[in-house]
Amino acid sequence: MPENYILKKDHLKSFLRKLQKDHRLVAPVKNEYGDTLFSVVDSLDTTDIDLENQAQASVKSYLFPQQETLFTYKTDEEGKQYTFEEQNRFEPTVFFGLRSCDLSAILYMDVIFLKENKDPYYQKKRENSILIGLGCNQPFDNCFCRSTRSGPFLEFGFDLQFTDLGDRFYVEPGRAKGEALVKQWQQFFFPATQDDDKARYQATLEAHGNFKQQVLAPVAIGRLQEGRVPEEIWQHFSARCQDCAGCAYICPTCTCYNMTDRTISATEGERLRTWDACTFAGFTGMAGGHNPVDMEKHRIRRRFMHKLLHDVNRHGRPSCVGCGRCVDMCFGGVDIIKFINMVNSESED
Amino acid sequence: MTNSINEIENAQAILVSGSNTVKTHPQVARRIFDAVDKGASLIVIDPRRSPLARHAHVHLDIRPGTDIPLLNGMMRVILDENLVDDAFVEMRTENFIALRDMLFRLDMDEIVTITGVPLEKITKAARLYARAHNAVTCYCLGMTQHVCGTDNVQSVANLAMLTGNVEKENTGVDPLRGHNNVQGACDMGALPAVYTGYQPVSDPEVRKKFAEAWQVDLPEEPGLTVTDMTHGGPVRGMLIVGENPMLSDPTLGMVKDTLEHLDFLAVSDIFMTETAAIADVVFPAASFAEKDGTYTNTERRVQRVRKAIEPLGECRSDQDMVIALSQRMGYPMSYESSAEVMEEIALLTPIYGGIYYDRLKSWGLQWPCWDRTHPGTQYLHKYNFARGRGHFVPTHHQPPSEPTDEEYPFSLITGRSYHHFHTGTMSRKTPVFNRENREALLEIHPQDAEANGIRSGDMVKLQSRRGEIIIKASVTKTVSPGSLFTTFHFAESPVNYLTVPSKDPQAKCPEFKICAARLEKIEHHA
Repeated sequence: MPENYILKKDHLKSFLRKLQKDHRLVAPVKNEYGDTLFSVVDSLDTTDIDLENQAQASVKSYLFPQQETLFTYKTDEEGKQYTFEEQNRFEPTVFFGLRSCDLSAILYMDVIFLKENKDPYYQKKRENSILIGLGCNQPFDNCFCRSTRSGPFLEFGFDLQFTDLGDRFYVEPGRAKGEALVKQWQQFFFPATQDDDKARYQATLEAHGNFKQQVLAPVAIGRLQEGRVPEEIWQHFSARCQDCAGCAYICPTCTCYNMTDRTISATEGERLRTWDACTFAGFTGMAGGHNPVDMEKHRIRRRFMHKLLHDVNRHGRPSCVGCGRCVDMCFGGVDIIKFINMVNSESED
Repeated sequence: MTNSINEIENAQAILVSGSNTVKTHPQVARRIFDAVDKGASLIVIDPRRSPLARHAHVHLDIRPGTDIPLLNGMMRVILDENLVDDAFVEMRTENFIALRDMLFRLDMDEIVTITGVPLEKITKAARLYARAHNAVTCYCLGMTQHVCGTDNVQSVANLAMLTGNVEKENTGVDPLRGHNNVQGACDMGALPAVYTGYQPVSDPEVRKKFAEAWQVDLPEEPGLTVTDMTHGGPVRGMLIVGENPMLSDPTLGMVKDTLEHLDFLAVSDIFMTETAAIADVVFPAASFAEKDGTYTNTERRVQRVRKAIEPLGECRSDQDMVIALSQRMGYPMSYESSAEVMEEIALLTPIYGGIYYDRLKSWGLQWPCWDRTHPGTQYLHKYNFARGRGHFVPTHHQPPSEPTDEEYPFSLITGRSYHHFHTGTMSRKTPVFNRENREALLEIHPQDAEANGIRSGDMVKLQSRRGEIIIKASVTKTVSPGSLFTTFHFAESPVNYLTVPSKDPQAKCPEFKICAARLEKIEHHA
């Protein structure tokens, strides 16, 4: 079997239509407000799939919903006998148009949710997902995936990776699911020629030079590892943080959650898992109102250290994927790019 | 707001008075931070050291209720240092002489004594504000919930007109409305003296217009204000919609007495509340996701809210309820849709004259929007004020209605916190918010805490002449010595039992922001 393929842009919709026969299709879609979001595509003929703009949110909420019912429970009238019913269903889904940052984020979530103790809810969703990535010829305004080694193109992890070559896509199968798709719908795929290979290589080279921001994450990581981040930086950022948790919620790799039980009626209830954020005071709030973290001074410290230090120590790479979304999200102007730049601008002594 | 929210980030000076903006209007605070990052000066007037005050270039920590002398003091500095915008005053205003004369007669030492703010700070603030090319003033309930609320706002208007900081872009006098549709409610005449669009009940031409449209006779007198109704009064039956007076009105003792003795009380709400609990009839209301309509926000922007699901259970939209009730009361109403209601609003309300559902795409329209071709108005008074020229009204200090004394030595300030909204009807049902903020806390300064043998976590009996509550203490330097602060979100510590019934004589807004209180530690609280 040839290594890589070409899919003509003319045929993209036709190919996606075939995928829709057995899968739910999720792709970046532009809505009437001009926002591009990963949405379920019902009708390819009336939906505006947008491959030009960055989706404002990642696909995290599909694999790890903001609010998820894990199980429901019922009890008898006296509240003595309980029955539980697991709620774990997921329609087979194709995620199309995943940028490298978002795809890398899924690979990170795989480590969090599947590596040691397999989370059955994530597992069900992940096993029923096909990931079709789209490399970035032109990174967006706040992107710095190169710095975090999560783009603009990936070497592995995707089922298929598309590269835009103008009138056609260069298609690389990655994992087995990708291979299987190409085989199933082989009428759409032509073997890539040497010229295609060259054009693709050229595109990736140019992408590396097309970043609008120079964000040197490895330098900041080094300083964090050496403990060389002055207290004033933590305090400045924490003072401006408005406690909205927007960064954590929008971040493709923030996976902290809270569990609560909700009463539906006198004899029924459900267990909910909801997104949480380490920037909330209650994240480490203790009985008596104590908190081991001084939220005034260190509210955002835990989060940045997790992204740029602890995950480097634990997994060998930062969990920030350089998507830049927290920049536009942050109310206080204290996003991770500002943090990295401020850490890096501290003088050597 | 005279201007729009995103203009704030282009101001060179921002004066924020009586607003805990970071916690109550985070999107406005965001613009303020953006402006400061671009070099703007930030002046905050607040008796408390709020999160925003901590970022201020000048924090004017006035004694509660002394905004008028402070603002007059600032205006006097501006006058003395020749920072008045003479051209603006000349061309756009009237009655400047009266203001000027009042300012010249001010005794600055007296102002320092009354406000508790040193002269250097007042001077610095005045210079920062007046020297800026564009300055914005944002204010909120810390200004309006006083017996002199109207005069407080007039002082802000005086200051803005004196320095030409209104009627052009990136300036403005910007009240920050709270509830997402409080502006819309006011716009629609949910105020006793006006119809929609602030058209006065007292104007016979206006009355005639509505009488004809609705085919009824209309009363000539304005209606009652909130506390006219809930603090005893002639009303025998009430329908309360989406409001929880049993926790949010001042002087709750009087409210409880009044509501419990009504002949009939009906309440419409999306959750059971303290008020709904004592009602004869409760209407389950549809939430935002279950109804069509519009919301008008603080920058006069009218936006669509679209039904996403059918109302759950027996819930009904406000529109349905009104139509059903009206039918049964003998006045049939027939509206096929909310869009049809909007058409009637546009017909009868000049400032909404061009607002129709088919024009309300994405970001909606800002009123005034006079007709179908009008694009909406980003900032007001571009060529002249509504009355022609802006009118200076000299204002004078009015002390709070209940000053502190030996018996009740503390100034009790009430307000809000970040995670909860008002009486917690919605926010106290949300697990994360409850985790973040689960109980009422009384902020007390370390000096006062020590003097009273109180530590953080101690339970305290907080009393005023009208009532008392039990509440947990939180020792912090956010409040000044002599002041206390708490929120009104928690039914377990209903602080409005303590607040005064006094109101601003014009706006009728109750003085929630200050009353006299005393406290004592509870030794062994069960």
